[in-house]
Amino acid sequence: MRQDEQEAQIAVRVGGLRKSYGAVVALAGVSFDVRRGRVFAYLGPNGAGKTTTINILCGLLGRDGGEVSILGRDVAHDPVFVKSRIGVVTENSNLYPELRCRRNLQYVGQLYGLPRAEGRSRAAELIEGFGLAEKADQPFGALSRGMKRRLTVAAALVHRPKVLFLDEPTTGLDVPSAKSLRGLIRRIVGGGTTVFLTTRNLFEAEELADDVAVLIGGRIVARGSVAEIKGCVGRARSVSVRFSGPVDADILKSACPAIRSAKLQDGYWRLDVADLHEALGQVVAFCRREGLRVDEVGTREPTLEDAFVSLLTENAQANRRDES
Amino acid sequence: MSLVARALAISYKDVESYYGKPPLVTWGLLFPAVLILAVYLKDRAGYLAVAPGIIGMTLLFGNTSMAAIVITFEKRSGTLERLLLAPLTARTIVLGKALSAAAYGIATAAVLTLGLAALLGLPLARPGVFALGLVLGAGMFSLMGIIASVLVKEVFEAMTLMNFFRFPLLFVSGVFMPLSQMPDWVKPVAYISPLTHVVELLRLGASGEAYFSSPWLPLGVSVVFLAASCVVAGPAFRRYATR
Repeated sequence: MRQDEQEAQIAVRVGGLRKSYGAVVALAGVSFDVRRGRVFAYLGPNGAGKTTTINILCGLLGRDGGEVSILGRDVAHDPVFVKSRIGVVTENSNLYPELRCRRNLQYVGQLYGLPRAEGRSRAAELIEGFGLAEKADQPFGALSRGMKRRLTVAAALVHRPKVLFLDEPTTGLDVPSAKSLRGLIRRIVGGGTTVFLTTRNLFEAEELADDVAVLIGGRIVARGSVAEIKGCVGRARSVSVRFSGPVDADILKSACPAIRSAKLQDGYWRLDVADLHEALGQVVAFCRREGLRVDEVGTREPTLEDAFVSLLTENAQANRRDES
Repeated sequence: MSLVARALAISYKDVESYYGKPPLVTWGLLFPAVLILAVYLKDRAGYLAVAPGIIGMTLLFGNTSMAAIVITFEKRSGTLERLLLAPLTARTIVLGKALSAAAYGIATAAVLTLGLAALLGLPLARPGVFALGLVLGAGMFSLMGIIASVLVKEVFEAMTLMNFFRFPLLFVSGVFMPLSQMPDWVKPVAYISPLTHVVELLRLGASGEAYFSSPWLPLGVSVVFLAASCVVAGPAFRRYATR
């Protein structure tokens, strides 16, 4: 593929992005690309700099250095062009509580310059599509939290954005509402919209994302497809074991150095192991020594959550090493 | 859709959400009406000298407060962020916010004036000058309220900041005492107060008589204050509202 064709495939490009709040460094040279039509999950613990990045990308916040472009344009230099092509769902559902749902969407359409008739038909289409027809004439403030979230996502789509930023879209929602919203996000992506997702729900990220970047302490510590990020945990596995008798966690861990953590859950020991082959050998040797038997054993592939926790642990250990 | 049309959409929405609510309308009318009635009952002849000043004072307090309350409320609820994320320039947002606040001030002051004219015989010798005073005053005071509100986070901070200027202005701007009766050392301060010139226009518009015999000077100074507020409000909003 030629270079200009490759460039055309990039919806969001961030290079060496830096931002500090006084002495606190929020972003220390962050770089990544988001390809068009993909879901990009931007993950990190609280305070990692995720919202700062989104605020810079959307033109709400200035930057100290680095490059940012959305659909080939820098929001700092061409804010109206960029803002008319992006949709943003902030962490809080920020529509107007006293206005009716339909009127909220029509007003957002006006802000984005839609002609009155088009704004009305687009509002009706979104209300129908998001399953809010019965609530169309109710004030936004009277909706349940899940419905507020749906309408907030709908409002971000009124002007048919090319890139949609979703900041913690399902935080605070009950399970059915969160599941339904994830279904809506999949439909949005199916329509060709690029989605930039930040979430603390790693299950959600794993379910929706094509590509992932993990941000810790203002730096990208891992970047790639979901499968590549999971590969960060190397040969680590989660192993589930049922022993024939009681076991002390500390004794088990000291007898089996390949076990990183051990937790008893519903009669099964959930073991996080660094190397499966080594760990199983050590567990069998431990059982022989203690007069126990392994009644059941099972393994599962590492999840994105495992990878994330592993990256956090490695980062904390690296910081400790640097400090000492 | 032009940026002016989008500013009008913001204004219309604000009137729908805030300014059209009965408590705000009654607050805007009752406070000055009661004050003027109190003056009228004490001195039926002298109230004519004070009524335009109280209408000017209502514009100052009403417009600066309402513009500031709406902006700080929207900052807190996150809805201001929605405007900042839309493809709008800072000037468009400021124009939209100022138009709705100004419309509220003009409408309440107009209703009050017409009520006073009907019930207490307030004259309107030069209605065009009176209307210009209302429009210029409402515009500049709304913009000043917006500038103050973007500098702070909370409503009470905006009020504190504005009261620092508003209360001294009341005493030097000929609201309760005509400029001609003020001590000479206060007059230079009065000349640089925007409220002085708005009150002078209202007084000229109502009774046909004021400290300045011609409307041109207060009109010119008011236009300069309005233009200065416009020039400052856009960049101030761009710089501080997005912090």
